[in-house]
Amino acid sequence: MKFGRNLYLVVTGIVMFSLFIGGLAQWQNSGTGEGWRFAGYIQRWGPCVLMCYVVAAVGVILLGWYWFSLAGKITSIAYCIKQNKLNCIKPSANAAINALNEVIKERFDQHITHIDELKGQVKDLQIQIQLSQRREKNTEAIIYSIRDAVIVIDEFDKLLMANEAAGTLFGFDFRTSRHKLISELIDADRHKFVELLSHSRQTGGRATRQEIEFFQEGKPKTFDCIISRVYDQAERICGVVAAMHDITREKEISQMKNDFVSHVSHELKTPLASIMAYSEMLSDGEANDEQTKKEFYSVIQNQAKRLNRLIEDILNVSRIESGLIKVNKQPVSLTILVEEQLQMIKSYAEEKNIEIISPKPIVFDQVCADKDMISQVIVNLLSNAVKYTRPGGSVKIKTEVDEIAGLAKVTITDTGVGIPENELPHLFEKFYRVEANKNVAKGTGLGLNLVKQIIEKVHNGHVFVESKVGVGSTFGFELPLAAREVVEVT
Amino acid sequence: MSGKKVLVVDDEIHIIHVVAIKLRNNGYEVITADNGAEAFEVALKEKPDIVVTDFQMPVMTGLELIEKLRQSEQTKDIPVIMLTARSFAISKEQQESLQIAGCLSKPFSPKELLENIEDVLYQRELTVDN
Repeated sequence: MKFGRNLYLVVTGIVMFSLFIGGLAQWQNSGTGEGWRFAGYIQRWGPCVLMCYVVAAVGVILLGWYWFSLAGKITSIAYCIKQNKLNCIKPSANAAINALNEVIKERFDQHITHIDELKGQVKDLQIQIQLSQRREKNTEAIIYSIRDAVIVIDEFDKLLMANEAAGTLFGFDFRTSRHKLISELIDADRHKFVELLSHSRQTGGRATRQEIEFFQEGKPKTFDCIISRVYDQAERICGVVAAMHDITREKEISQMKNDFVSHVSHELKTPLASIMAYSEMLSDGEANDEQTKKEFYSVIQNQAKRLNRLIEDILNVSRIESGLIKVNKQPVSLTILVEEQLQMIKSYAEEKNIEIISPKPIVFDQVCADKDMISQVIVNLLSNAVKYTRPGGSVKIKTEVDEIAGLAKVTITDTGVGIPENELPHLFEKFYRVEANKNVAKGTGLGLNLVKQIIEKVHNGHVFVESKVGVGSTFGFELPLAAREVVEVT
Repeated sequence: MSGKKVLVVDDEIHIIHVVAIKLRNNGYEVITADNGAEAFEVALKEKPDIVVTDFQMPVMTGLELIEKLRQSEQTKDIPVIMLTARSFAISKEQQESLQIAGCLSKPFSPKELLENIEDVLYQRELTVDN
């Protein structure tokens, strides 16, 4: 700028000087010869013209100087704006420049304020983005930590989020399957779930609930499926969340409970039916003679006892299962317990002409056990052995000690009817009775279940059975030796 | 209805016994079986006028027995009364489709059973006459 100004001054000066010298020369030469009338005028008006000339020259120079000065100031202002240093804009004597300064400063201030506002908004947005990201991470963490299968899809049926359980159930990698169509991720045999998702998007309301069945590892599984619709601010469906809770076990338990109640009801009603029928016959005088009456009374008594035993068995099983039964463990000899129960069963065995072979006493076979419960176990096993052995057969009881394993073992072997191999796994289930042997002897179907509960649940022991149809069966149990257990009363 | 033949089927010997005494005391001829398979053979042979059967039995259940009776020409028209200790064991539809004439819950009254038997046999006679 300075160079331009200086050049302007120099050139203007030279031009002005040249014109001045030229004019002066003309004025000097004018008035002497022909044709130079103009020279006469110049001679007369020369000083005046010269004066005007000088003033004009000065004016041009000053104007130029002013223009350059103005340009310089504006350039300086522009430079300051560029450097963003408004404070270097100095006040000027020039009103126009000052006005320009004021306008520029004002606009600058407005822009700065606007920029500050925008910066504030940007910061707010960044914070919201961070919060949103954190919320998404929290949601992911929640979904990943849920054991139930959870799937989130958008309005185009594309996967947004899923957890490991969903990946395992439907056979896709939940980490790498985002934004893929759900129908492409789920196998054809589970497409009813995809249809359920699509259908739920079309129906109204917030959530639907439905049970759905799949096969998983070859086994049928039932899921309680809750599908929730996600709405945007315009109340349009923008996604669906499906949570699937495996209720297979609950259903099995519910079915088992129903079966148990049904069984119990049936078993209780059976002796009750006899009691009521025979009572009615007696009161209606249908027993024609004393012998018949006696017979009727006997049946009523026996059936009442049967009912009582059944109720006791059911209660014992329930108490043991629920942990409510009082257990009084102390060191007891299994051999002695077996001997005691043998005395009770001997007469029954003799009636059926069954030989009982019992062990010689073992001194060091003490176990830490509830005497009454173990007696019950021995009685149940012994009476079963005698019940299911035909006359002329035998029942052998053995007590053994395995010092190395720290176990005492009781085995009861009969030469009875035996049990089919496919029924062995079910023997200890509640109310289970071997189909083929139901006619051989009566039973509640709870005796062996009680044995299992007492030995395994209460005493941390183990029950076992071996059998062959037509040959006989061996039932038994093992208990830890007393030295390895602490006496406890609960 | 004296002289009619009744087949009583139950795996509980005491139930068979008490029902048999009640029916015999009222002039009925009673034949028995303790499971469904045996009962079917007896029904084919003896051709009872009515069958009274328990629902739950080993070898063959009461329902299976009735299905078999209905499939055989010789036994398809024999009326059947079912005794059951299980509530809601048989639906109305099943009763109709298997033509079960009556259903009594255990514990039952022998008197009530006798009345049921007499009703069914009376209705049957009316139907046959018409």
